[in-house]
Amino acid sequence: MSREPILRAEGITKRVPGVVALSGVTFDLAPGEIHALCGENGAGKSTLIKLLSGLHAHGSYEGELTVAGRPARFRSVADAEKAGIAVICQELALVPEMTAAENLFLGAEPTRAGLIDWASVYGESKALFERFGVRIDPRARTSDLGTGQQQLVEILKALRKDSRVLILDEPTAALTETETAVLIGILKDLRRRGISCIYISHRLEEVFELADRITVLRDGSTVATLDRAKTDVSAVIRHMVGREIKDLFPRRASAPGKTLLRVSGLNAAAGGSPRAFLKDVSFEARAGEVVGFGGLMGAGRSELLMHLFGAWGRRLSGTVELMGVPLGAVTPETALERGLALVTEDRRRYGLVLEHPISFNLSLSSLKKLTAGLLLDLRLESSRNREQASALRVKAPDLGVRVGGLSGGNQQKVVLGRVLMAEPSVIFLDEPTRGIDVGAKIEVYEIINALTASGKAVVLVSSELPELMGMSDRILMLHDGRVSAEFAKAEATQENLLAAAMGRARN
Amino acid sequence: MENKKLLRDLSPVIALALIWGVFAALTPHFLTPRNLSMLMIELSTTALLALGMFLIILPGHIDLSAGSGVGLIGGVASVLIIQHAWPAPAALLVAFLIAMAVWMGMGSVIVKQKMPAFIITLGGLLVFKGLFWLVIRNSTVPVAPGGSWNLYSLLTTYYLPHAAGYALAAACAAGFAWTREQPDPERRFLERFTVAQALFLFAFLMNQFRGVPLPVVILGAAAVAVTVLTRLTRFGRYLYAIGGNEEAAVMSGVPVDRVVIGAYAIMGAVVALTGFMQTAYSGASTTTVGELMELDAVAACVIGGTSLKGGRGTALGVLFGALIMASLLNGMTLLAVAPEFKFIARGLVLSLAVWLDTRLSRA
Repeated sequence: MSREPILRAEGITKRVPGVVALSGVTFDLAPGEIHALCGENGAGKSTLIKLLSGLHAHGSYEGELTVAGRPARFRSVADAEKAGIAVICQELALVPEMTAAENLFLGAEPTRAGLIDWASVYGESKALFERFGVRIDPRARTSDLGTGQQQLVEILKALRKDSRVLILDEPTAALTETETAVLIGILKDLRRRGISCIYISHRLEEVFELADRITVLRDGSTVATLDRAKTDVSAVIRHMVGREIKDLFPRRASAPGKTLLRVSGLNAAAGGSPRAFLKDVSFEARAGEVVGFGGLMGAGRSELLMHLFGAWGRRLSGTVELMGVPLGAVTPETALERGLALVTEDRRRYGLVLEHPISFNLSLSSLKKLTAGLLLDLRLESSRNREQASALRVKAPDLGVRVGGLSGGNQQKVVLGRVLMAEPSVIFLDEPTRGIDVGAKIEVYEIINALTASGKAVVLVSSELPELMGMSDRILMLHDGRVSAEFAKAEATQENLLAAAMGRARN
Repeated sequence: MENKKLLRDLSPVIALALIWGVFAALTPHFLTPRNLSMLMIELSTTALLALGMFLIILPGHIDLSAGSGVGLIGGVASVLIIQHAWPAPAALLVAFLIAMAVWMGMGSVIVKQKMPAFIITLGGLLVFKGLFWLVIRNSTVPVAPGGSWNLYSLLTTYYLPHAAGYALAAACAAGFAWTREQPDPERRFLERFTVAQALFLFAFLMNQFRGVPLPVVILGAAAVAVTVLTRLTRFGRYLYAIGGNEEAAVMSGVPVDRVVIGAYAIMGAVVALTGFMQTAYSGASTTTVGELMELDAVAACVIGGTSLKGGRGTALGVLFGALIMASLLNGMTLLAVAPEFKFIARGLVLSLAVWLDTRLSRA
């Protein structure tokens, strides 16, 4: 790069008690560049970002930061913001009860005579939205906006403060494909306007679509900085993992056995609504089989799983049979007892009691099996927990560790472990690899293989088409609450899956 | 970080030692067997109600009606005995069942109608207080007809014979040795020795006055029951899970509604028992019995390390919290501190405890 970098980190070493989180990391960002940061969980990405954004204050690390050639010593996030660096986090920092415009100006409301000048809040917000071609009503309540729109509000909030560097941490983790496309468009637009961007994502397709350069971190060190044009996905993965990964989707199909779950003509509505949201859904899942469900966000995939599990909506008509026995109105409690388990999409919210230890979470769904008489058999519990944790290779010093402090991949393994300890025969997995790194993804896929090999049925919902195609034995596409198409593994291509997701191919 | 955690765990013990030290220095009466015996009887009602409150706070709820309930249920029993000439055991049993039913009803409303516990039990506070005054007709209703004794009055006036006190201490020490798991033999001996010594010292001290008071035995049984419930049963595990993350608990197959209603039913039983003991301690139902006890119970939980958001706390901590609150009141009464300053001191101690806890739990 001939131009002077807008942001440069040199020889950064950061020690946290017991470990070296970063050692000698060097990273630079050119003006108007999108620079992707890749690495597995725990590779040091978050630490590096915290440093660049002032969350880790100057003096808590070794090495030097420079902004536009001048040494930067951020003591706080405010210092970094003043230097034009803004972070858009995974968890959005918006107040849901406020309007989009109120959020844009939160903490910097223009005043007239000591009172908030609402006319200019809304006027300037409107202008800002128009400038970037964002179609959001400034007066819309933030909680009424989609996740993607909220993300845009957050980005514009940063731009309103004249930020020159945007740091985006997993911005698309919760976005639909359409929303992702809008976001990517806007980031490209910002690049043309000379705004630089550090982009972190587990989704390498996005990285390759957007980034000019890719820096890979592993175990706290920079492994490589690559030109996007001169590299490919497998090279990046090799750098991230430190070894060759032969098969990203190691599905080992097993011969399907008898039908475990049969759903026919299911119509279901959301809580108070009279109109069906899930319409005439029929499918079956057989022992040893992975049935994949695809579709756009809002097509009803999660609702279908949640409904069958007894955690969403009201059944209007249709029948559900589990192992030949009709399954009426269930609750999660009875569903688990009957052998139906669900791993939800949002594991932190629905899957785990974060403040409690791994062991507490693992056994939570199978305590009945661990009770002798009136009391829990603590010895049996701890031995079962240890077996499960080692079978799933949960990485933690011991099972007394708080679940909230684990990496995404390990948290997901704990959720899987909890569900498996209830010994279900049909397992619903809703986005089981969201936000976890390549290595952990493959471990999850191997768990799926082991489940089907032992005669269980898996129903897999995924937004990532390669994953859906790679891991499912059959794929059903949902569109607007209805099954729009079914494909055998061999027939499925990205094109016909997408067409079915849009509702264009009905059979 | 290890030190901080240790400090947090030990802070109630340190606070208690400080309070006792100050009172012992200020008045020679504080550490006499007679006063310690009084303190233990006062502790037993505060701590019993706090243990019930603990089971409500664990899943993230709260019961503001407990204090009014203590008055009301005690009053119902007194009125049945004095004005309707019921035998004491029957009166107590009926009042007890009423309490369980009423608290189960409150729990059901809170859970099924998805109402905040704060509001429903605040309503309960007012309604029960009104009912209480109606039931006793704003008068003083003794627990036993003039000068006689019955099961009700014995609740706080009976002391175990000296030999029985020692026997109970021995039984408790044996029970501890039998249930406590400690793989390290040296520490096992040390633990057993310390606990046995403390128990015998306690029985000895109590025997210097009149003997081990019955309320202390009741409290001890309740404390063991709550400890077993929270540590060794599904019900207890579920209470922690609901308080930690209710949505995840539902999705994990925890029968959230049943568990929470169960916790309220137990609270009803605890309120009744506390009501009987508190009324018996006053000798009669008067309009002020139980007043503000719910706040002392919440304070004891919080001081003992229970999180008001739910999901965190231990029964032992709650006992310590209650002992701190009871010692504070007892000591100030001995020193003849004016009531206005007693309120202020209790408020300050509560705030200080919470401040300390948030400071120390920050990583």
